[in-house]
Amino acid sequence: MSSRDAVVYKTPLSRIWTIFTVIFIAFYLLWTLLPLVIMTFSSFKDLLAAFQLPPVGAFSEIGLFFNFTPTTKHYYNLFVNLGFTTYFLNSIIAAGGSAIISVVLGSMCAYALSRYEFRGKSDLFFWIISTRMAPVVAVLVPLYAIFRGMDLIGTQAGLILAFTTFNLPFAIWILKGFFDNVPYAIEEASMVDGSTRFQAFRAILPLVAPGIGAFVILCILFAWNDFLFASIIGSGGAKTLPPATVELVQPQNIQWGSIMAAGVITTLPMMLLGLLIRRYLVTGLTMGAVRE
Amino acid sequence: MVPTGSGSARPTTHNGEHYVDGARVIEYLPSSLNALPSSRYYLWLMAPALILLAAITLYPFFWLIWMSLQNVGAGPETEFVGFKNYIRLWADDKFWTGWVLLFKYSFFCLLFEITIGVFLAVVLNGHRFENILITIFLMPMMMAPAIAGLVWYYLFNSTFGWYHWLFQSLGILGETSIIGSTETAMAGIVIVDIWQWTPLITLITLAGMKRVPRDQLEANMVDGASAVRNFISITLPNIYPFLLIAIMLRFMDNFRFIDVIMRLTGGGPAEVTKVLPVYLFDVSFVFFKLGRGSAIALTLLIVTIIFGKLLVKVFENPASKRIDQGN
Repeated sequence: MSSRDAVVYKTPLSRIWTIFTVIFIAFYLLWTLLPLVIMTFSSFKDLLAAFQLPPVGAFSEIGLFFNFTPTTKHYYNLFVNLGFTTYFLNSIIAAGGSAIISVVLGSMCAYALSRYEFRGKSDLFFWIISTRMAPVVAVLVPLYAIFRGMDLIGTQAGLILAFTTFNLPFAIWILKGFFDNVPYAIEEASMVDGSTRFQAFRAILPLVAPGIGAFVILCILFAWNDFLFASIIGSGGAKTLPPATVELVQPQNIQWGSIMAAGVITTLPMMLLGLLIRRYLVTGLTMGAVRE
Repeated sequence: MVPTGSGSARPTTHNGEHYVDGARVIEYLPSSLNALPSSRYYLWLMAPALILLAAITLYPFFWLIWMSLQNVGAGPETEFVGFKNYIRLWADDKFWTGWVLLFKYSFFCLLFEITIGVFLAVVLNGHRFENILITIFLMPMMMAPAIAGLVWYYLFNSTFGWYHWLFQSLGILGETSIIGSTETAMAGIVIVDIWQWTPLITLITLAGMKRVPRDQLEANMVDGASAVRNFISITLPNIYPFLLIAIMLRFMDNFRFIDVIMRLTGGGPAEVTKVLPVYLFDVSFVFFKLGRGSAIALTLLIVTIIFGKLLVKVFENPASKRIDQGN
């Protein structure tokens, strides 16, 4: 037996613990998935079926949830009558545009910050990160006033700029951590071989490329999921999916089927992207403080 | 004909090219970028990002300070009023209640998220299906908070919401929906936050638990410590810096995002969920009092910046340094 193996004795207590963990995980799984499942199912139900509930306390009639004939009319309605094709494209343009601007400018800045020591660097760094931490509403108030004066409200450019207020500091902060991990010797070697400083920078880009790719996706995710900026600054010409979905909630006659379908459309791409960058998720969501 | 090395180290010239000992000498001039002093080169790299960031954050920040001293209406005309906006805030009950509610909301969210999240991490750590399970658990985090708010609004609905039916069937709630009564509305918005963000705590804790030194655990076990004892005296101190980061991050995010609250209650009923950012939103974008809104926004920003300073300290804390080492 190698020394890495741990000896675990099966005691009644450990058996009870095992059973308990299985129950807990099952329960947590249900708790996580149920809202998503109900959202997805409701998007395929017509209005009458979506409002069906068993009588209070009648747990045996819970099967009523599955009692419906699937219909795709809500999805059809969204894309054909409610203009969600435009909103979907708006989401892609605004989120993608801001992500690309943030990561391109951010990686240049992060690289310089990683390699260059100067006075006041930590203050500069704190300023960058504090813009990322600022409450969205607090940033929104002056940004709205300024953009109103510049006629940027309701334009793609305005929305991209608004998303960049939180994506750019994020990109700088997190990419600096990535460049810190690349030894300077690689650039030195490249420069000894006769490349310019900028070519040396390009030489190490392949090393950080997977990380950069992952953070482009994370920036897209943050922007895609944003509601406040999108609803105040993007409203009108550049409406993205979350505000468009929220607008389906009207005082009378709330179209729950369409809302749920819009929810699925908004959520599904992000879940797939999230899976794609699963390895970088912890780093990204903790602003680089925790690595897996 | 290329001259070959015949023992002589004398430079020769042939067809305009220089040779030393048979090897061609290539004259090389460093390119202009290499000749630049390095500081200027780095400044050029930083400039675009910093200028853009200043334009969209620093400029609005000073605008915010200026605007908080004005009376701004829906139109373009403003009127300088000095510190009047701040003086009115001092006497504004909703402002102070907003702060209390914000801290209350964050406290309850964190309490449950840390408890459930850490426990889930303990259960999942080294589990046979750890990877697939955590991937499933992560799914709510990918959802737009506004959409999550809508979905839960539907679930909590008192006439057709499945969760309301469940609560009612279990005898927890009566006819009124959880977000419709002043006593339970706060619980309603906390539940959604727990649903969405507990996995983040689990993820961070799991990352921490992978770094707990195995030899310490084993030594403690050899000394006869139980699993619980082991967790308290070895695992917990080791994951403490990770937990601190998780707490700070969630705290900041509760300040940052109000999407869920706006969808579920909009601050109601009877303003028991009107946390400060929601109040700020109402003042600024429902009543369009941008001057007063700016004053509120500035107080919120200052508190966030103080928290941010603490957070960065936590990041740089020697205790959390080992996070980066990775083993």
